[in-house]
Amino acid sequence: MTALVYLEQTDGAVDEPSLQAATMASSLGGGAEVHAVVAADTAALAPAGPLPVDAVQVAVHEAFGSYAPLAVAEAVVELAGRLGATCVVGPGTERGNEVLAHVAALLDLPLAANCVAVADGGVTRVRWGGSLLEEARVDAPTLLLTVQPHAVAAEPGAGDPPSVETFTPTLSDAALALRVVERVGAATGGVSLADARVVVSGGRGAGSEEGFAPIEELAELLEAAVGCSRAVTMAGWRPHTDQVGQTGTKIAPEIYIACGISGATQHMAGCKGAKRILAINADREAPILQSADYAVIGDLHEVVPAISAAIRAARSG
Amino acid sequence: MSTALSAVALLAALAVATALFARRAHLLYRIVRLGKPTDRSGDLGRRTKAEATVVLGQRKLLQRIVPGLVHAFVFWGFIVLAPTIVMALLGAVDADWTFPWLGHQGWYFLLVDLFCVLVLVGVVSAFGIRKVQRPARFEGSHLREADVILGLIALIVTTLLGWHATQIALGLNEWPAGWSPVSDTLSGLFGDGETTEAFERAFVWLHVLTILVFLVYLPYSKHLHIATAGINVWFGRTRARGRLEPLDFEIEDESALRLGAGTLVDMTWKQMLDTMSCTECGRCQDVCPAWATGKDLSPKLLIMGLRDRLFAEGPAVLGGGEATALVPGAVTDEVVWDCVTCGACVHECPVSIEHVDHVVDLRRHLVMSESRFPTEAGTMLRDVGRSSNPWGKAQSERAAWADGLDVRVLEPGDPAPEILYWVGCAASFDERARATARATATLLLHAGLDVAILGPRESCTGDPARRMGDEFTFQEQARQNVGTLGDAGVTRIVTSCPHCFNTLGNEYGDFGGDYEVVHHTELLAELLADGRLQPPVGEEAITYHDSCYLARHNDVLAAPREIVSRIGRPLEMARSGKRTFCCGAGGAHMWMEERGSAINEERAREAAATGADTLAVACPFCTMMLDDGVKQTGGELRVADVAVLLAEALERV
Repeated sequence: MTALVYLEQTDGAVDEPSLQAATMASSLGGGAEVHAVVAADTAALAPAGPLPVDAVQVAVHEAFGSYAPLAVAEAVVELAGRLGATCVVGPGTERGNEVLAHVAALLDLPLAANCVAVADGGVTRVRWGGSLLEEARVDAPTLLLTVQPHAVAAEPGAGDPPSVETFTPTLSDAALALRVVERVGAATGGVSLADARVVVSGGRGAGSEEGFAPIEELAELLEAAVGCSRAVTMAGWRPHTDQVGQTGTKIAPEIYIACGISGATQHMAGCKGAKRILAINADREAPILQSADYAVIGDLHEVVPAISAAIRAARSG
Repeated sequence: MSTALSAVALLAALAVATALFARRAHLLYRIVRLGKPTDRSGDLGRRTKAEATVVLGQRKLLQRIVPGLVHAFVFWGFIVLAPTIVMALLGAVDADWTFPWLGHQGWYFLLVDLFCVLVLVGVVSAFGIRKVQRPARFEGSHLREADVILGLIALIVTTLLGWHATQIALGLNEWPAGWSPVSDTLSGLFGDGETTEAFERAFVWLHVLTILVFLVYLPYSKHLHIATAGINVWFGRTRARGRLEPLDFEIEDESALRLGAGTLVDMTWKQMLDTMSCTECGRCQDVCPAWATGKDLSPKLLIMGLRDRLFAEGPAVLGGGEATALVPGAVTDEVVWDCVTCGACVHECPVSIEHVDHVVDLRRHLVMSESRFPTEAGTMLRDVGRSSNPWGKAQSERAAWADGLDVRVLEPGDPAPEILYWVGCAASFDERARATARATATLLLHAGLDVAILGPRESCTGDPARRMGDEFTFQEQARQNVGTLGDAGVTRIVTSCPHCFNTLGNEYGDFGGDYEVVHHTELLAELLADGRLQPPVGEEAITYHDSCYLARHNDVLAAPREIVSRIGRPLEMARSGKRTFCCGAGGAHMWMEERGSAINEERAREAAATGADTLAVACPFCTMMLDDGVKQTGGELRVADVAVLLAEALERV
């Protein structure tokens, strides 16, 4: 019995969810031999150090230098066939699930995604966004599964590092059809909205796409992320990735500065994790004032630049 | 041709046509029999009434008067002219044969002439609509099929007139020719010689053969509705329109557990019959708020997609083959999620297709079997289950809106109130909607009613989860709430939210909860009528927006209007009453991101076009959506609940 586990790497180091997948694969029992496969555009990127597997195969192809899920899947299928693998495991990350989904399609077999436990051909897996655990029996000659991140603790593996071999997979034209043409960084300049310690958001009160200039200026001074309300994304002033709210990003900053945002329930559901809320709003009746710790009643186009100026003055003084 | 030869030829033609028709009809019947059960028995009175009004009376079609009359002429003509088919069959065998009794009645032939003309007027107008006017509702329909059918109908009627004219010219008519003004006039074109005899034979045979071609063509085309529509209307829903059919999770035989519709074999037989009844008229598409705002969903294309899949895979499935996924095979994920469950399509459909039930069943499968739904709505589903409200607010804050008001919060063991105010999550937690709760409670107390609220023991009815397809979460909420209400001894409920109103009143009965449920507008209108509330007459121009779940799904139209007309000057929007236009929040869209242009903006513009100062609403979700819509479109309208407007009017006393 042989298990094959697909590992993802970043800069030559195996990712944590992949280590967890390898750990689950090695715990399958029955004296299974566990092989790992990584895809890289050069053999130099073979993983170093101990791993909880018996052998590592590096699939080398120039296509693997960028995003190529179908190509990777073909390499995995080729190796699984050569090894006679009875189980193929991958990390339950977005890319891991995508690669294994392609593997399943190529082999015309079912895939059990986001598993938290495996026993005797049955799996337990996460459904409904984490609100339900499903016990399922997989009826297939080869068990295909991905491992829900953080479901098992990664074990580094004991003893000597596993043997490392390389091979060049045979890839179909179809697999090479998908290419990365260009990479564009996320629109926001660095600070991620979900993790930001300070968030400065604008709402309909910003008035226009250009109306976000003072908000961006203040955010830069505070090393804060820029957010917005649903009204703003509806109007097309900011991308949906900037939207704070129940149907956007949920934030939990130390301080949330909401400028020209009325505070609809759906918005407040996204920022209820904020420790402090400063609302800047021209409307004294705005619902957000019910939840705000501090408020300035006034036009954000006057108030926000004044705050920025005061911060600059304090810093230079 | 001798009588015997004619009889043989006719019988042969009849046999071939009937065999071809029966072969197709039998296949369609077997496909429908594949469908899952749904109980459409009983309620004979309502079913008979539906046949009388919707089919015979063409009630739904006549909602649009011109195309409605066009169809009604052809349809009523079809009924009036039906006996002439038998007459023509007899006449084709022998020119001297005729139908006993009816074949001699002058009045009948007057009707025949009249309806021949009306059918021709109908056919010509239908061509006019399709070729000249070209309404957008036909986008995506099979127009060529309609041309063929219209051509066949025109041929059937003209050959009938021609036959009658030649009969009169030859003196073969057994009825007084004076009763047939059209045929009699046309008879002047013919002499009484052999040429006319040949024409007489040609007309009757062309007439009969065209009818047989029509018969064979029918079940292979969208005009199958001629055979299926009447049946579909008969088996239409007779219970509350807003009620969804519950799924049975407790079922003994696990293989019979149905979690919505994944493939065609999961569809109910009524849903299959629905798809076969669609004639692609597009009335549903025309009123669909999703389609109107550039989204992928058209109720017509949804039903057509399902029908195409049914016809493509049905025969193979009957042979033991596997059916494939309906989504995205027959319709895309986007189509399934675009629906706001407003029911405008169902209300409009002349053949009782139940589009919303199709959508909900497709959603149920996606959500419960595949965990596949717009990610942003996941938080709502989780919060309904965990926090008892869709925004994840603390239940302890549920009654915070009532601070300072003397509203009794019902504690366990307290005596049941005369009427329980079911506030709903939106009016409990949303700042804008809370104004409605405060106004409603103030008014009810002012009128001296014994009213109480459940406070933190009130929990989401589960409506948004149910409309998302998460039947499981809905039923958990339903059972919990039915328990709470039962323990509290509640029998009468007033609610501010049309969605709660619909769920409590129409759906909780399936889970053992039977209450008398009224909407706050109904109760307030009652108090106005009794004189227990006496607001001064106002001059404010108010346009009232009907909530889908109040007006269309539950027939509450008059009460909110009575209130509005007491406190202001009412103005109606172009789309109102049961043909209202959704605010955009229904079907759990309050918790989804909208693609395309915004439904609430479209509605806000329509409201502004009335020239009103105030946009009155009777639903907390409409309040939020339309207030946003007005702001997004830069409008000046004030959006407020009817209860808020009434309370303000009373304060002016």
